[in-house]
Amino acid sequence: MNTKLKISNVTKIYPGCVANDNVSLEFNSGKIYALLGENGAGKSTLVKILSGVIIPDEGEIYLNENNLKLNSPSDAKKNDIGMVFQHFNLFETLSVFENLIIDSDEQREGLREKIDTIMKKYNFSIDLDIPVLNLSAGQKQKVEIIRCLIRSPKVLIMDEPTSVLTEQETSELFLSLKKFSEEGILIIYITHKLKEVMQLCDEVAVMRRGKLVSVSQIKNENIESLANKMVGQNLKTIKKKKAKTSSDQLIKITNLNFTSEDPFETNLMDINFSVNRGECLGIAGISGNGQSELFQVLSGEIISEKNSIEFNKNYIGDLNPQERREYLMAFSPEDRLEQAAIPQMKIFENVALNNFKSSNFFNNGLINENKIKEHSKKIISDFNVNTENIELKSQFLSGGNLQKLIIGRELITSPDLLICFNPTWGLDVGAINYIHETLIKINEQNKSIILISTDTDELLKLSDKISVIHKGKLSKIMNAEEVTSEKLGILMGGAN
Amino acid sequence: MIKIVKRDQPSRAIFFFTPVLAIFLTLVAGGLIFFILGFKPFEALKFFFIVPIADKYGFSELLLKATPLCLIAIGLSFCFKSNNWNIGAEGQLTFGAIVSGGVALLFYEQEGFYILPIVILAGAIGGMLYASIPAILKTYFNTNEILVSLMLVYVSKLILDYLVVGPWSNPEGFNFPETRQFSDSAKLPLLFEGLRIHAGIFLALAAVVISWFVFYKTYLGFQMKVSGFSLKTAKYAGYKGKKMIILVFLISGACAGLAGVGEITGPIGQLHREISPDYGFTAIIVAFLGRLHPVGIIFASLVVAITYLGAETAQIFMQIPKYTGQVFQGMILFFLLASDYLLFFKFKFIGSKK
Repeated sequence: MNTKLKISNVTKIYPGCVANDNVSLEFNSGKIYALLGENGAGKSTLVKILSGVIIPDEGEIYLNENNLKLNSPSDAKKNDIGMVFQHFNLFETLSVFENLIIDSDEQREGLREKIDTIMKKYNFSIDLDIPVLNLSAGQKQKVEIIRCLIRSPKVLIMDEPTSVLTEQETSELFLSLKKFSEEGILIIYITHKLKEVMQLCDEVAVMRRGKLVSVSQIKNENIESLANKMVGQNLKTIKKKKAKTSSDQLIKITNLNFTSEDPFETNLMDINFSVNRGECLGIAGISGNGQSELFQVLSGEIISEKNSIEFNKNYIGDLNPQERREYLMAFSPEDRLEQAAIPQMKIFENVALNNFKSSNFFNNGLINENKIKEHSKKIISDFNVNTENIELKSQFLSGGNLQKLIIGRELITSPDLLICFNPTWGLDVGAINYIHETLIKINEQNKSIILISTDTDELLKLSDKISVIHKGKLSKIMNAEEVTSEKLGILMGGAN
Repeated sequence: MIKIVKRDQPSRAIFFFTPVLAIFLTLVAGGLIFFILGFKPFEALKFFFIVPIADKYGFSELLLKATPLCLIAIGLSFCFKSNNWNIGAEGQLTFGAIVSGGVALLFYEQEGFYILPIVILAGAIGGMLYASIPAILKTYFNTNEILVSLMLVYVSKLILDYLVVGPWSNPEGFNFPETRQFSDSAKLPLLFEGLRIHAGIFLALAAVVISWFVFYKTYLGFQMKVSGFSLKTAKYAGYKGKKMIILVFLISGACAGLAGVGEITGPIGQLHREISPDYGFTAIIVAFLGRLHPVGIIFASLVVAITYLGAETAQIFMQIPKYTGQVFQGMILFFLLASDYLLFFKFKFIGSKK
C-alpha cells in the first residue's frame, strides 16, 4: 500500500528565531528522502513536529489525506509514525527486552515472538536479555529501530543516525533502511552529511535558516551542489600545507592511567604518545570513548602522576590547569556554554578566566579591570569576534563568535601547545572555516596542537598524525597521509 | 488571551522588582489570613508592621533584630554565591556564642578594655570552627553540606543546653538554666541611654562594606562568581575549589559567630537556653530576599526584622499567636520564589484571534 505524507505550510516561531518558515513538503513511500541542512537550519524542529514533540504555530500534516493532529509523541505513534532520535532513549541498566516491553501494548510472549521475527527478517543479532549498557552504539540504535518496527510503522524518521556509528555500522544501517523502503515504509533521513545523502537517498530537501530551499532528485545533484545549497554561498576549500618535519619534542605522555569512580566515565588505560613542535596530533573516536577524560587529564582538571606528562622538559602531571598555563599550554574544552565560558557573564569577564601571572589581570588579589578590558578588545579585533561591546554578556554571541572568543582567549598569549576538543562542534560553515584556518596558522608558527575530535573529516584535514581512542585506549599513532576515513572507522569500532 | 512567553534574557529591572512584589503579596495574603481569623485586616497589619516601629524605642528594637540577621545573611551570601549550601548558620551562631560566652565567663569580675575584643574574636573563631566541620567533610569526604550543617545546629543547641544546666550554670542562680551575668567589660556598649541598640550594629555595617568590596573588587570574589555559575568552569580555569569552599564556610561561620556574640554580649548579657529566635534560619530568607547583594541584604534584614517585632506587638494587643511572625517569614520566601518565575518568563497579552 502506498503511503503519502504531506506537510503543508508549517510555521514554528521561537523568541528571536523562526525555526520553520512556511514549510511545505510531500513524501511518498518507496523512496528514501533526505532532509539536509546545517545545525540550526530547522530540520530537527520539523521532525519533532512530525513526531508530536513540538506543536507547530501554523500548518497542517496529512497522512494519506487524513489531517493529523499530533499533540504528543503518542499521537504520532498511534498514526504509525516512528522516530529514532539522535540520542538514544533507552534505560541502560534494563535488558533489551525490558526496554522494548515498556512502551508496547502487547503481551510478553507475543512480543518476544514478534521481535524474533523482525530480527530474523532483517538479520539483526542482539541478545534480548543482556542489559543495554553492554551494547555498542550500533546495537543500541537497532534496539530503537526494532522498537519502531514492532508497531509496523508507515513512516520511519531517522534523526542524524550516523553521528555515533562507525563506517561499518553505517553501511549496515543503510542496507536495513533500503530494505525497509522496499517493503513500503516511507523513510525520512535527517543529516548534514552530504556523502550519506548521495549514498542512500533518492530525493533531497534542503533547509536553510528555517526555510525550505530546494527539493530535488539525487541523480541531478552532486556533493558540491548540495553543499552550496546548504550553506548558501560558494565555499572555498582550505588545505593544510605539509608541516616542516621537526624532531623537537614538546609534550610526552608516558604510561598514563586514569580510573574513575564514576561508572558513567571511561577509564584511560596506558596512554603513551608524544607531539613535536609545529605538529598537530589528531585523536579520533566515537564520542564517549574517553575523549572527555583524556582532555581533562591533559588540561589538569584531572590530576595524574607527576612523571606521566612531560612538557617542555618539565614534569607537570600533578599541576592544575592554571599552573599548566604558566608553562604555556592552552585549552579549549568541548562544552562552550557550560565549561569554556559562562554565558551570564560579560565578555571581558570571560576573558579573565584564562589568567596568567604575567597578564596582570589580578594584582595582589584585586581585579585589574582596565587591563582585562584592554586585553579583551585585542582578542575581539585579532580574532574577528563580531561585536564591539566587551560589556556584552557572552550569551548574546553566536556559537561561532563565542568559539572565536574562546580560541582567541587561549591563543593570544601565544602558548606552545593548544589542546582542543571538538572545536567546531555545532558551528556554521563560515565559523568552521575560520577556526580551521586559525589552527593551521598555529602549526605554521611552529606551535603544536592536540586535536580531539569526533569529526573524521576535520581530523584528516588538520592533523599530521592521527591516533584513535577506543574504550579508553589509544591505537598506534599513524601518519595522516597514510590514513583513510575507512581505516579510521575500523579502528573507531574497536578492531585492530 | 494571556500567553506566557520565555524571556530572551532574565530582566534586570524585574530582578530588583520581585522582592518588592513578594513583600506586597505577603501583605495581601497576610491581610487575608487575618480576615479569615476574624480580625480586621488593615488594623491587624497596622499592629504588625507600623505600630512596632512608630516610636524611638521601637526603631531601636528594629535595628537590634536586624543586626544579627544582616550579619549572618552577609556571611551566607558568600556561601550561596559560590554554590555552597550552608544552612547551619544557627548552629554556628550558637557555637560562636558558646565560645565567646566561655571566654567572657573566664573574665568574670574583671575589668579592662582588652576583654571585649578577645570575647568578640573568640565568637568569630567559634563560628569558624563550627562551620569548618561541614566544609571539611564536604571537600574531603564528599558529604552533603546541607545535611551536615543542619544537623550540627541541633548538636550545638544540646551542647549549650548541657553547659548552662551543668558546668557553667550560675552557682547563685537557684538552678535556673543560665550562666552568670558577664562583667561590663565583656559587654558591647549601648549606643543610647534607655535603648537596647548596641555597638554590634557596627560589626554588621563593617561586614556589609567588606563583603561588597570582596564580591566586586577582588580575585576571590571573581572566583566565587565563576564557581557559582559553573563548577566545571571553575575547575577548567584552575581555581582551587577545595580551598575556596573552606574559605567561604569560614567567612560565613565567622559572621554567624559574631552575630552570636552580639546577642549574648548585647541585650542578653549571659548565656542561657534561648539565645536566638532562629536568626540563623531566618537569615537564609534575608539573604535571598536581598538578592545576595550587600545593599539588598540591609533592606531585607530590616523588612524581616519587622516580622519579629510585629508578631510580639500583635500578640500583646490582639492576642494573635506570635508564631504568626514565622508565617510571614515563610510567606515572604514563598512569594519571592514564586515571583522569580517572572525573571525568566513574561506575560504577553494578545488579542483573541478570529
